[in-house]
Parts: sequence; structure tokens; C-alpha cells
Amino acid sequence: MSPRLSPLDRAIGAIPWLLAALLGAIALHLLAVLALPALSPNGAFRKLALHLPAGEKDLLARATTGADGPTFSDPFAALAVCRFDLSQGPLRLRAAADGDHPVSISVRLTDGTIVYSANDRQTPHGRFNVLVVTQAQADAQDAAQDNPDQAGAGAADDELRLVSPRPRGFVVFRALALREGDYDAAAATRDGFQCSVEKPAP
Amino acid sequence: MNGWRALPVAAIATLALGLTATLAALQGDPPFGDVQIGAWRSWPRLGDSDIDPYARAIVAVDGILPLGAGEGVAFMAKTDDSGAALDARCDYRLSGGAPSARFWTLSAYDVDGRLRPNPANRYGLTSAALLRDSDGGFAIEAAREARPGNWLPLGDRSRFILVLRAYQLTSSAVAGAFEGLALPAIVRGACS
Repeated sequence: MSPRLSPLDRAIGAIPWLLAALLGAIALHLLAVLALPALSPNGAFRKLALHLPAGEKDLLARATTGADGPTFSDPFAALAVCRFDLSQGPLRLRAAADGDHPVSISVRLTDGTIVYSANDRQTPHGRFNVLVVTQAQADAQDAAQDNPDQAGAGAADDELRLVSPRPRGFVVFRALALREGDYDAAAATRDGFQCSVEKPAP
Repeated sequence: MNGWRALPVAAIATLALGLTATLAALQGDPPFGDVQIGAWRSWPRLGDSDIDPYARAIVAVDGILPLGAGEGVAFMAKTDDSGAALDARCDYRLSGGAPSARFWTLSAYDVDGRLRPNPANRYGLTSAALLRDSDGGFAIEAAREARPGNWLPLGDRSRFILVLRAYQLTSSAVAGAFEGLALPAIVRGACS
């Protein structure tokens, strides 16, 4: 038979439980905030790229009232996406601006973090030649170039090598229509965007 | 509370508090890092790797595909310059400053981020297609009914949001959190 506790004793006894509940709630909140970007069904990676084979592009439909694409999409933007999984090899991105339509590329991780973005005015002659690699693949490439037997295997002058902090993500290519009625021309520029998986350095 | 009999209560309280705090934190706009210019707000860190965890979660939950910093910046207006919520029963005139950018677009959205149906099937304007005066200035009329000149159709639903995307900002506009960057004033006209 346990002794009968006074209200004060009961209140004091509840303090550790209240603190534990509070700390647990803070931990749960932080975990949820950190996990949501990769798990949310509305997240851009899950919605646009999750089911794409790595290294294959998908041309997105133009944003309209009924479109099921990302929210707050620009109706003047022609978009293409490409998923990457660097465990299968580095990803090569190529695109060229036509001089009329502003063009840009952004490299994003599965949680949506943008690790690289550039437009055609920031690249030589409006051309993009980007190689997305892991740090290990970059090290292997550097070692291969230092090896005299691999002479001639160096990167092209216009190549930008981007070391991705994580191996999985997606790329968004964007070409902009200058006015209503110009979307098809922008889409034609968008259609020239290329992405492909390359063989890792031996 | 008496010994381990308090455990289920504490566990339920943990779940309720944690999930409520998460839902509350992810409602509305990102809480940090905004820049305000007149009625326009932007969150430039959405476009780079410095994005904070709350903004990243909000972007994912809301299904937004933000512009990368090297692509441009989006500005959002939910009110006019007087602070009144934008309402399609009213007309609005946008004029004055324009962003120092290669190109910009302007569109009206429902509060859920979808383009607004309108009889003209026009969903925005671009800087390249604006009718301008001899000084290069412009005025945009945002209204339900067609207007001469630069008309931005608003559709019939009441509340709406304007989004202006400035692509390829000049370096001076990017530096210093958009110091000196000009954006159009939003002035309400007649309401029906």
C-alpha cells in the first residue's frame, strides 16, 4: 500500500515528466523539419524526378491553371528535369542558349537544396558543359590526369566540374519565352538540353 | 504524477506538442531571411545552399521549385502598397521601378499557387512585351476586365498573389541584399 501523496508532492513528481515531454517534443519537431524536405510528396524531387531513370531528361508541361506541376510556376518558363545518381557514374550536362531566350541550369539535391545555378550570360558563349561528380570521382579523375599513361584524357576547356555534396538529386533546365506566343521557340531551346551518365574514371 | 503510469501521458504530450509545433512552423512564409521592397517580399536564400531548414521544409511542403541564385529572384506580393490584401474585385496599377535584370515576368496566382483562370487565357506579362512610354516607363493594369495597354487578367476569384520574377539580376542588384533595387509600386484603384 503506497503512501498518499499531497498535491505538492504530485506536482513536483510531474516536473521530470513535463521536461521529458518538452524535450521530446523539441526533438520530434526538429526531426520532422529536417526529414520533411526529402519525404514530402509535394517536394520537387519526389514530384518531378523520383521515377525518372538517372541521366534521362523529362520535358515538363507548361504551367497553366490546371497544371499539376510545382506551385507558383512561371508560365513563360519551359522546363526540363533530369535525375542523377552519381553512384552510377558522373552526370554530364550540356546546353546552349540561342541568343534570344534566357537560359539557366540549376543542380538540386533530393531535399531541394540548390548546390549550383548559372545562366547563359555566365558561361562561355552561352554554352553549358557541366560534369557533376562526387568527391571520390573528382579525386579519381585528378589521379588519372596525373598518370602519364592517361595523357589526353583531360577535361575540355569549357568544362565546369561540380562536386556534389551528395550523390542523388536532380537538375532543372529553364528556357524563357520573351512574350506570349514565344513559348514554342523557348521550348525548342529547352528540348536541346542534354544530360547523360558517364563512365566513372578507371 | 505517479511513477511509470505517467509514461503514456508524457508520450502523447510529446507527440501532440511536437507535431503541433511543426505544423505551426510550416504554415505561411519562411520565417527567416526575407527582403522587403515596398509590397514585395523575397527570400533570396531559397536559391542557394545556405537555405535554412525551415525554409527548405516549407518549400517542399508547398511544392515550390524556387529559382537558383544564378537564375534570378522571385518577389511575391500579397498586399498593395497600402498594406491591404490583394482582391480581384479591385483594379490595381503597377508602375514605377523595374528590377535591374535581363528579363522579368509578372503573373497572378491563387493563394494555393496556381495560375488563375481567366477568359483571355493570359497568365502573365513579360518585360520584353510591355508597352512603354518614350522614357521607357510603363504601367500595368491588373484587373478582371480587359484594359487597353499592359493588362494583367486577374480572373474572378477574390484573393490573389502577384509574383514578379527577375531573371539574371545585374551584379549591383545581387550585392547587398538588393540594396537600391526598384520594383513597381502596387496602387489600388476602383473596387466593384
